[in-house]
Amino acid sequence: MLPSAQAVPSTGSAAPPSSASVASRLPSPTEATNTCASCHSTLTDATLRTPAKEFLHSAHRDERIGCVGCHKGDPRDPTVGAHSPSTGFIPHPTHAEVPRICGGCHSDAAFIRLINGRLSVGQAALFNLSLHGKLTSAGDPAAPDCSTCHGKHDLEPPSSPLSPVNRANVAKLCSGCHADKERMSKYDIRTDQFEKWQKSAHGQAFLAGNQNAPTCTGCHGAHASTPPDAASVAHACGRCHEQEMQLFEQSPHSQGFRKRGLAQCVACHGNHDVARASALMVGVGPDSTCMKCHSHDDKPRQVASDISDLLRDARERAAEARGAVAGATAAGLRVAGADYALDQVSTAEQKVRGVVHTLDPARVQAVVADIDSAVDATLTLVSNAEEARSRERRGYYVALALAGLLLVTLALKTVQLDRRRRQAGP
Amino acid sequence: MSVAGWLADRVGWKGIEASLAAHRASRRGFMFHVGGITLFLLVVQVVSGILLAIYYRPDADHAHASVERIVGEIPYGNLVRGVHVWAADLFVVSLLIHLFTVVVRRSFRAPHELTWVSGIALLLVGLGQAFTGAVLPWSEKAYTDARVGSEFARYVPLVGDWLHRFMRGGEDVDSETLAHAFGFHVAVLPAAMTLLLGTHLFLVSRRPVTPLPQAATAPTIPLYPDFLVRLGVALTGTMVLILSLAIFWERPVGPSADPRTPPSGGLPPWYLLPAHAILRAAPKELLGIDGPTFLFGAACVFGLILLALPFIDRRGSRLTVWLAWIALLALILLSFRALP
Repeated sequence: MLPSAQAVPSTGSAAPPSSASVASRLPSPTEATNTCASCHSTLTDATLRTPAKEFLHSAHRDERIGCVGCHKGDPRDPTVGAHSPSTGFIPHPTHAEVPRICGGCHSDAAFIRLINGRLSVGQAALFNLSLHGKLTSAGDPAAPDCSTCHGKHDLEPPSSPLSPVNRANVAKLCSGCHADKERMSKYDIRTDQFEKWQKSAHGQAFLAGNQNAPTCTGCHGAHASTPPDAASVAHACGRCHEQEMQLFEQSPHSQGFRKRGLAQCVACHGNHDVARASALMVGVGPDSTCMKCHSHDDKPRQVASDISDLLRDARERAAEARGAVAGATAAGLRVAGADYALDQVSTAEQKVRGVVHTLDPARVQAVVADIDSAVDATLTLVSNAEEARSRERRGYYVALALAGLLLVTLALKTVQLDRRRRQAGP
Repeated sequence: MSVAGWLADRVGWKGIEASLAAHRASRRGFMFHVGGITLFLLVVQVVSGILLAIYYRPDADHAHASVERIVGEIPYGNLVRGVHVWAADLFVVSLLIHLFTVVVRRSFRAPHELTWVSGIALLLVGLGQAFTGAVLPWSEKAYTDARVGSEFARYVPLVGDWLHRFMRGGEDVDSETLAHAFGFHVAVLPAAMTLLLGTHLFLVSRRPVTPLPQAATAPTIPLYPDFLVRLGVALTGTMVLILSLAIFWERPVGPSADPRTPPSGGLPPWYLLPAHAILRAAPKELLGIDGPTFLFGAACVFGLILLALPFIDRRGSRLTVWLAWIALLALILLSFRALP
């Protein structure tokens, strides 16, 4: 209960963002005491006391947004009148109310700019467009609202490693609901995404600390999260793999997949369990992705086989260049320009990996020729370095022979001088 | 008249020969050749340095790439750089051995005071040459050498801050440091060294080495041709050693320095390791004075005593020899202590 006799500071936390004067919503630095918190933190009822305690660690508190920012009420009233319905007090915001309350501030560009210039606005509008938002608006209690992901009274900024929506924690946050079979059963969606992602090329890279590797929001979006469908998945992948997406759209697969309703990139690479792409995916071998659909089609089989042969040649030639440089380096040879030459090889390999998506052997052949040129240039550098070393060694042995000759001459001269001196006497 | 005879006549070789033959030198002992080897190493550095200077570009944007080009693309560039780098290290070693043998043999005594003082000055200039040369490749190691090496200067009493800024060419190690190092390495220090070396050799020729009392009756040989032929053997061996080191023990240039992301930690050049150990082990305060400054001040006093040695120990006492051995041992131990 509220200790009515207790003096409560007359000024306190911020008012809701409804005033025309943005600056007037904030308490001055000398009035930073949160009067709601000062009462609630002394209460014996844990459900009333805990929010006040948690609020001490809130990003909102750091930005001088007090309890009234969300719950309203009148903190200037030292009695229970502070909770009067006439003050607009919202003791327990409902599931559907939360996005509106958060959006009250986070959709107000002028206010947000005053609070923190780095924050973006419009999250509430995006959320309302998302599947999550639509379910929440429809009153689905299992659907998330803002606080489900961001936290409530102890809300951390997303940049904090402690925040559930920090990039490092997002996959775990999403899996909290999406790996819950019981919770997901009514939506008829799978629950193995997190498990698969962890084993995928994306997940492995992310967990190894690659800051560019995607977590859930990388493909699905954050506030406007919407699952990509078969026709749009290439655009989700193409946000990072732009070159591959464009080349894929030039391939015969692009039209064919669209007609058959196949999920573009996912058809060959998978989605949550996307594996590291390998040259073995192309061809007619047991690991070939092509053979999943084309095992009996003569022409596609031939194309797959041709591209596979080209990729094998490219792989072997690139390995030849790397092996030559590694061997030379292990032998203590300094190959000037080797790093740049191998970069050229890697760049050409990268191009080959992209151009494979066109399924055009002639275009693949053209890029494989780039690899050949880069490899030849690398081997020439190694050969030059070996020749330079041989030249140095030959020069060294000649110098050694001359030095030996000089030493023998000087030694003989010394002996001769000693003999002469002895003969000359003391 | 043969060409050799004509040339000998024109340069007055007979007179030079008679003058050299009039000087006597010890018949035995490798240590008598150390001075000559030091001079030879200097000549090797000058010749190889001139060759390197043809291709080296002394600005922060191109210095590292030009050294990479020298070792990777210029015919025999790797060998010439190897010879230069090894000769520089051996030069410092040779200078220190020469100094040590002079102390142990008490050859600093009168009338060699000026020879000694010019020798100490040559040592300092030689260390300066080695330090500025180490900075020139502008690699990560060169950057560390410049940063850590110049950091010591800060603790030299009275002139520390000035010396620190002077070595860096400013507050930080940057392109100005490289420009400073290059200017000193190829112009200022070589000029100083030429002057000092000329003085040193002139004094040596005017005042031959004073033998130890117990070696006063040791057999001697004429400087020319006997001693110089023996020196020729030592110099040929030295050249073979340098070439072999350059061929079989390469000194990689290493990655390019990037002052925006300077490497942290790291060791200074080997001849500054004792100073590094002192700095690491120094307490925060000693007798009310900043600890490192106190210890570096003590080292400077030791240096001044060394400079004034012929005037302090006029007769060359055995105590000086013992102190020299103790100092050598201390420097070796401190160097090992500085290693990680």
